[in-house]
Amino acid sequence: VNLRPGELLAHDSSVLGYLESASLMSGTLESLSGLGEDGSSVGSDSEINGLVIRRTDKYGFLGGTQYSEASEKEIRVDVARQREMKWLDMFSSWDKWILRRFQKVKLRCRKGIPSSLRAKAWQLLSNSSELLESNQGKFEELEREQGDPKWLDIIEKDLHRQFPFHEMFAARGGHGQQDLYRILKAYTIYRPDEGYCQAQAPVAAVLLMHMPAEQAFWCLVQICEKYLPGYYSAGLEAIQLDGEIFFSLLRRVCPMAYRHLKKFKIDPILYMTEWFMCIFSRTLPWSCVLRVWDMFFCEGVKVVFRVGLVLLKQMLGSVDKLREVQGMYETMERLRNIPTDTVKEDLLIQEVISLPVTESLIERECNIQVRKWRESRGELTHQPSRRLHGTRAIFEYKRRAASISSGGSFSFLGAPVPPPGPLRASSNLIHFTTANKQDIPLLGRHAGFIYCRLSFIDVCLCVYVPL
Amino acid sequence: PKITYNFLFKFLVIGSAGTGKSCLLHQFIENKFKQDSNHTIGVEFGSRVVNVGGKTVKLQIWDTAGQERFRSVTRSYYRGAAGALLVYDITSRETYNALTNWLTDARTLASPNIVIILCGNKKDLDADREVTFLEASRFAQENELMFLETSALTGENVEEAFLKCARTILNKIESGELDPERMGSGIQYGDASLRQLRQPRGSAAQTKQQCNC
Repeated sequence: VNLRPGELLAHDSSVLGYLESASLMSGTLESLSGLGEDGSSVGSDSEINGLVIRRTDKYGFLGGTQYSEASEKEIRVDVARQREMKWLDMFSSWDKWILRRFQKVKLRCRKGIPSSLRAKAWQLLSNSSELLESNQGKFEELEREQGDPKWLDIIEKDLHRQFPFHEMFAARGGHGQQDLYRILKAYTIYRPDEGYCQAQAPVAAVLLMHMPAEQAFWCLVQICEKYLPGYYSAGLEAIQLDGEIFFSLLRRVCPMAYRHLKKFKIDPILYMTEWFMCIFSRTLPWSCVLRVWDMFFCEGVKVVFRVGLVLLKQMLGSVDKLREVQGMYETMERLRNIPTDTVKEDLLIQEVISLPVTESLIERECNIQVRKWRESRGELTHQPSRRLHGTRAIFEYKRRAASISSGGSFSFLGAPVPPPGPLRASSNLIHFTTANKQDIPLLGRHAGFIYCRLSFIDVCLCVYVPL
Repeated sequence: PKITYNFLFKFLVIGSAGTGKSCLLHQFIENKFKQDSNHTIGVEFGSRVVNVGGKTVKLQIWDTAGQERFRSVTRSYYRGAAGALLVYDITSRETYNALTNWLTDARTLASPNIVIILCGNKKDLDADREVTFLEASRFAQENELMFLETSALTGENVEEAFLKCARTILNKIESGELDPERMGSGIQYGDASLRQLRQPRGSAAQTKQQCNC
């Protein structure tokens, strides 16, 4: 029997009662009594922006443009189960999989990571789990520090402006917003030279939808330092450079869209800034966001380029479509507000996978654009070579660093490497019910949300005990 | 249905983060307060056709990210703007202190002739006020700016701010102080004007292109 987390909780009235009070404390908008069959919740009426909404979608959205209608097709239960087993198998000997069967890992990321295991997978793919292991206590230490008011002020202003339609972030001062503050503040102390960039907030928020603050923090660190170095730094050189790279890739991939943008003098920076800096988290329907992030964690920035190119192709790739956007302003409006119902998950992912834009092509284009930059604008502070193209590159970087620092032994920067994760036996429900009230921000209807406070192992056991 | 207009003005909304720029724009275009807004990353757009002094004017409004860090990219959006709303938050002195920098950016990057209206936003939060009306109006006078206190929440003075700015530009066009034909003026003739003014010499293709509104 495949029990959903929600059902499990619904049968345990003591847990439910507990959560109810926890929710009242955290100020979420819903009553926690009703659990829908599809994992959504039937709450008391909540009013957001004049809309009365009763149910969240399966991702926790209460409304807004990224709200998913229930009609979305679901993967069959047995298929989902099979995928989960495959992923659990990979988790149990992760390094071996990356080293020897990376193509398979990549393929599975492209198919979509099972939502119940997504958080763990993202952490493994980005290697943030190891970073956390080797930095035990560091996050708490960062949290204890004061922080620079210059950053804290602006972070505070942004807290209620991240996914305001998501139940986790809807309540002012609620747990979502509190955690967001914690990790964004921690980052400014971790990297005082970088500070805070507003585009980091939505990225951090997406991570928080899946994992606890400490894990989300290290994941954010990996994104900012390995996947997209320089994107959030003062001067924003990296994003501007990528804009140029993006535009010249477009010329290759879709000359029609390229000519159109060129004709109306629409700089890439005008439309791709938010796409790239937020890794499309504000642009696409939510199911697509998750699929894109699954691939992004595995394959790196290439995925971001490809998604952007596919979107331009879809919006500006035919004479008919161009006819609707004759003008700079019209084009910009289209690119900045992509109607979410026009983006079809399967189609988008299929096109992204088949687009012939490789790492080496991006690197080659990068070299050309760096040269042009130096000729026209002078020296770059940003070092494009710091960027690592996904899991495999991060893994190799780690091994190189390890062999330098410890003369060949297999550890990361001298820190002990934890044994690759065999299933730890832990009594999950006890763990759950005895957890600090404050630590249960939301009802765990969606596996992803349970994750908010539990390790993935707990959830696996939670879900699979009946097996 | 096509709305014809005499002129098209490019407007900017600039100012520090969290001053309510996007909310002002939203209030102006939708006539309501945007409760659950994202902060702006890069630039966002809005447009509205208004009637000013018997002329139909299309305002094309560029709403920019406020964080200092984004200035390096938002500056490239300034080019060719005819008007700007320079926004600070009356409950935050810091946002007021930053005005000089924003002003310099606008005048050097958009055009020295850009018409700017200073907006002290969040007028509804009078209890938390950190900048007095008097102080800000002196600043406006010294820097040749128009000035209004606005509230994106209640809508007070929001429409006025945009219209005042548009009216001033129009007056300057009529008095000959501003020349719409000059490159980078941020002003374009709409199809209605084109028919009257430019038909004899204007090309058909151009007319067609510009009446897509």
